[in-house]
Amino acid sequence: MMEVFKAVTCPVCACLCDDLEVTVDKGKIVDVKNGCAFSKSKLLNYNGKQRVLKPLIRKGNDFAEVSYDEAVKQAAKLLTEANYPLFYGWSMTSCEAIRVGIELAEEIGGVIDTTSTICHGPSTLGIQDVGLVSSTLGQVRHRADLIIYWGSNPLIAHPRHMERYTVFSKGRFQEKRKLVVVDVRETETAKKADLFIRIEPNKDFEVLQALRVLIRDDELDVEKVAGIPVATLEKLAEMMVECKFGALFFGSGLTMTEGKNRNVDAAISLIRDLNRITKFIIMPMRGHFNVTGADMVFTWQTGFPYAVDFSMGYPRYNPGETSAIDILLRQESDAALVVASDPVATLPRKAAEHLVKNPLIVVDPHMSATAKLADIVLPSTFVGIEAKGTAYRMDNVPLPLKKIVEPPTGILSDEDILSKILFEVRRLKENAS
Amino acid sequence: MELIIRNGFVFDPLNKVEGEKMDVFVKDGKIVEKVDECKAKVIDASGMMVLPGGVDLHCHIAGSEVNAGRLLRPEDHFKNFERKTRVTRSGSGHSVPSTFTTGYRYARMGYTTIMNPAMPPLEAKHTHDELNDTPMVDKGSYTLLTDWWFILECLENGKIEECVRYAAWILKATKGYAIKIVNPGGIEAWGFGRNVQSLDDPVPYFNVTPREIIRALCKVNNWLGLPHTIHLHTNNLGKPGNYITTLETMKCVEDLALKDKPVIHITHCQFSSFKGSNWRNLRSGAEEIARYVNNHSHVTLDMGQVIFTNTTTMTADAPFQFTLHQLTGNKWMNHDVETETSSGIVPFRYKRKNFVHAMQWSIGLELALLVDNPWKIFLTTDHPNAGPFTAYPRIISWLVSRKARESTFKKISLKAQRKSLLPSITRELTLYEITIMTRSGQAKVLGLKNKGHLGVGADADVAIYNLNPEAIDPSKDYKEVRKAFRNAVYTIKNGEIVVKNGEITKHVNGATLWVNLQTSEQKLFNEKLKEKFRDYWTVEYENYAVEENRLKISNPINVEAKI
Amino acid sequence: MISLQLKNSLKFPVTAKCISPDALQDKSLEEIEKLKIWVGNKKKELRELFKIEIRGSEREVIHVYGDLTKVRGIGAEMTMGELTIHGNTGMHLGEEMKGGKIIVYGNTGDWTGSMMKNGTIEIYGNTGNYLGAPYRGLDKGMSGGKIIVHGNVKNEAGAYMQNGIIRVYGSAGQFAGLRMKDGTIYIQKKCGERVGANMRGGKIIVQGFLKSVLPTFTIEDLRDKVKIENEEIIKEPFYLFLGDLAEDGKGKLYISKKKNPHLNFYEKFLEGEKIE
Ligand code: SF4
Ligand SMILES: [Zn+2]
Repeated sequence: MMEVFKAVTCPVCACLCDDLEVTVDKGKIVDVKNGCAFSKSKLLNYNGKQRVLKPLIRKGNDFAEVSYDEAVKQAAKLLTEANYPLFYGWSMTSCEAIRVGIELAEEIGGVIDTTSTICHGPSTLGIQDVGLVSSTLGQVRHRADLIIYWGSNPLIAHPRHMERYTVFSKGRFQEKRKLVVVDVRETETAKKADLFIRIEPNKDFEVLQALRVLIRDDELDVEKVAGIPVATLEKLAEMMVECKFGALFFGSGLTMTEGKNRNVDAAISLIRDLNRITKFIIMPMRGHFNVTGADMVFTWQTGFPYAVDFSMGYPRYNPGETSAIDILLRQESDAALVVASDPVATLPRKAAEHLVKNPLIVVDPHMSATAKLADIVLPSTFVGIEAKGTAYRMDNVPLPLKKIVEPPTGILSDEDILSKILFEVRRLKENAS
Repeated sequence: MELIIRNGFVFDPLNKVEGEKMDVFVKDGKIVEKVDECKAKVIDASGMMVLPGGVDLHCHIAGSEVNAGRLLRPEDHFKNFERKTRVTRSGSGHSVPSTFTTGYRYARMGYTTIMNPAMPPLEAKHTHDELNDTPMVDKGSYTLLTDWWFILECLENGKIEECVRYAAWILKATKGYAIKIVNPGGIEAWGFGRNVQSLDDPVPYFNVTPREIIRALCKVNNWLGLPHTIHLHTNNLGKPGNYITTLETMKCVEDLALKDKPVIHITHCQFSSFKGSNWRNLRSGAEEIARYVNNHSHVTLDMGQVIFTNTTTMTADAPFQFTLHQLTGNKWMNHDVETETSSGIVPFRYKRKNFVHAMQWSIGLELALLVDNPWKIFLTTDHPNAGPFTAYPRIISWLVSRKARESTFKKISLKAQRKSLLPSITRELTLYEITIMTRSGQAKVLGLKNKGHLGVGADADVAIYNLNPEAIDPSKDYKEVRKAFRNAVYTIKNGEIVVKNGEITKHVNGATLWVNLQTSEQKLFNEKLKEKFRDYWTVEYENYAVEENRLKISNPINVEAKI
Repeated sequence: MISLQLKNSLKFPVTAKCISPDALQDKSLEEIEKLKIWVGNKKKELRELFKIEIRGSEREVIHVYGDLTKVRGIGAEMTMGELTIHGNTGMHLGEEMKGGKIIVYGNTGDWTGSMMKNGTIEIYGNTGNYLGAPYRGLDKGMSGGKIIVHGNVKNEAGAYMQNGIIRVYGSAGQFAGLRMKDGTIYIQKKCGERVGANMRGGKIIVQGFLKSVLPTFTIEDLRDKVKIENEEIIKEPFYLFLGDLAEDGKGKLYISKKKNPHLNFYEKFLEGEKIE
């Protein structure tokens, strides 16, 4: 029997398009309308060969299949015994699961961190220094007449961003908009731009600071900045000053290159300065579909958005000190629980090495690179496909994730698995005292 | 569970009980006539004050704006933290505490019901998720309706009835408790970086004025029969000379008054009671505002009392926040919400020696003391805008004691000392009046029938303070008063003891209060709205509403709308 | 004198703000030994980590021995006395220090002297990032006192500095003097780029190589000498830049002419001035 689900939220990127129409036939997704290629590929192929269907515990070089109860018991024991365990991931699961994750990290006295540590963490640090002038994406759609993508390539990384929210969308006040792209190479997005400015790598800071001076009609002593003639930058400055509503979106081309949070700091400062003249907003192009939600839940429960250290019984936050990547590089952790991410594939090699050297528990639907090296693997459902929950779009708008199909028999959600571990940890602690 | 609160001095203004020594009986979460004395647990409250649990009708504690404030300010949290205990979760934050910590701190002060005053509809799920994580108290949220395009368009076309329908839909969709109005017209203008200057300044691109918006939403409020009045943050807030705007705002709905019932609540009135034409000649407009309020029954106020501390300002009035950023040079967050509203955040330090800040401190107290009737003005700090809610005990001490006021007054800016009206005010509020201003009056204006009193049938939300009204003179012993209100000896929530001697003894989840409006033919109307949906928002109709099962504990107030 | 000798090497982070003259001076040996400190998420007593001895009567003098790379917050908020570390230390050494002296015969971690108000820190090895800088979100860093680093510093040394002096005899990373308002930073050897970014006031002296000056600085003068502090003067030519214009800043950036011939194109602006 065919069934069509409407208004399905796409559990892939932080555009969180919620207009998908998904057709299900005999418990299988057979068609996806409105989604981009990423979306289709995930929704049609998520249930591949790599799916883990039984909890696993390492026995030498192999895994043995065990019950959830057994795996949870072992996991709880490893975590409770640890002196400085890490709880890492969280950007591809629901806010509901993240809530339990934080409670678990607090109960044990561990460090909990998200994948922000390797993508938009610097954005947060920049925000904490200078603020953030932003809006929801609809505000951009209705009002913006100038769109700037800086170090981000939406046509490839966020395929529907331009169609739904910016250049190709239609709003109440605006239909035609100018597109500016600033990047170190001519990306697909840059090819569509009215003005493309190709800057030398790792020179974003200089360009942004120079623009801050130019929008005030002040002059510079130099003729070129980052290889760009000042006259070209003056042109951009003029476009910025003269627009009615501008929007600048930045990606990891800004946050993960030399200068990191200071690049973001300069970008935000530029946009803030522009608001004395016209209306302008700025927004980070967050990647994973719920990395924003992780920030949100972390912040309301602990006061801090990521890199939260509970080892002393209360939340402490200081990226560089309490961030997962730095802890791993300094080889300080002695156990880890990884949920909804694949650090072995994404962290620097040295960090990943330390991670797998210690007891490692992975909660994941797939046999990811990290799961392959784990001591315990707890298979979970795909949230947004097989389990419901909440996720936050890159502009902080919360959206429901739906359950469209049944998970494989007996497979639990992240939230349920974490709750079981938490319950077991409390039992162990109770027995000990 | 059954409880007997024995021998306390009971203050229950709604039932006209003023410090009588009597017993209070609790059973199954309610105040009852009597309980089985053999089974009941007895609390010896002799020598103590027994009050209904505190009610706060205006504190920013949850949702996207508050959370952005938290994210912005690690420096507000890193030295102000709470450790996890056997019963409580950990947390952090001085002016914008994390959710668990917020709930615990309110409970320790004997508060049991609090209202979050600014919920952007599109982000209502966020607000409710945070309220779910705010333990110990019942809570609700006001839906920001001010410059929502649907309302503006209805007004442009003079379709007030349609306005009512839209309002009904969105209140239900967002699980809101009341209609919040913030700088009407100014927020839409801010969409292109502008503002409005007066009640009759037209909203750019919409053929309506702030006055029309206020009047329309006031009518909508009456029409829907909502338990609370419209809850309004005035135009020109925070600007010298704005007391005129405030007077005009109150006047503009005079004819909409229903008998003796209030129809408008002017919130954090201190920020809207400025006289003068610039910051240097700033004066207090408290006398004029109070005179008006004393002569009219259709309006209530809350203070928005300034506390000299480092805090975080956050309002939906984004153009005002921008001005504040320009004034201070402090870091600034702005978040506009498509078709609906906006918000801004700026850290702020109120300094004793700063003339303007000291005047603001004075104006808040002047308002509270010059408005004769404590049922018309309530104690708030517009948390955290004028200071964190944890300062309430300090404010109580200023209100009950001239001496307390003088001791702070001596330390403020000399220029402010010369211009302040405070020295001329001798009034000292009684503990009975404080009870009204901190719970009974607030419950009444919120239309919360089971809150703010200890009559039979009321919710068993009770606060017991170690203060013997027969033994102390609040005027002299104001420090005792402050100390007592800081940490309740007992806080009882839904008939359970949750705080003892200022410590949380039990973590409970309060309920979320919302107005469940019953309207006729709403369904057809919703279909119409659905058609337009994609033109206005970037999310789907199906994904917009807050489902009731999202609320951890739902407590709908059923209201039969007259439509 | 109180001496603390680390017993075993450490794996987990240790927070030990109690290792400071203020905290130890009027405690008995037994009380010191029983001080609680966090090792990872476990609470331990100081004696489990250190062999502690008290010699003589000079209780405000402390010597610590061993590799304390994992130990954070030593000497935090200290107001007096002398703390000598024979070995490396971890982060937040002397954080919010108000007086006294810290000497380190080794390297120190990030946030050394963070938000320090007064006193002296002298490091014979290298130090990390954020020397003297504030905690996240705060806009006031070091506001007084002196930090001397004989080795190198990493990024953002002296960020948000309000006053005081930082002297680095080695090289510095990027963003030295970020958003500083006042005070002096002296860097003897090579300096990373973006020095003085967003500075509003104060003085930065770079005697070594600097690849480029931020475009938002403007050349003001060519001086034949520059003063570091008191009577200490370097007698060689320095370019003087003002900035950061992005913040309408009035900070002074002195860059050695000798070590930076590639910056001589700025001189054309100075000549122009003379013609006028
Ligand atoms: S743009 Fe992102 S959210 Fe939208 S359909 Fe594609 S992958 Fe999904
Ligand atoms: Zn408010």
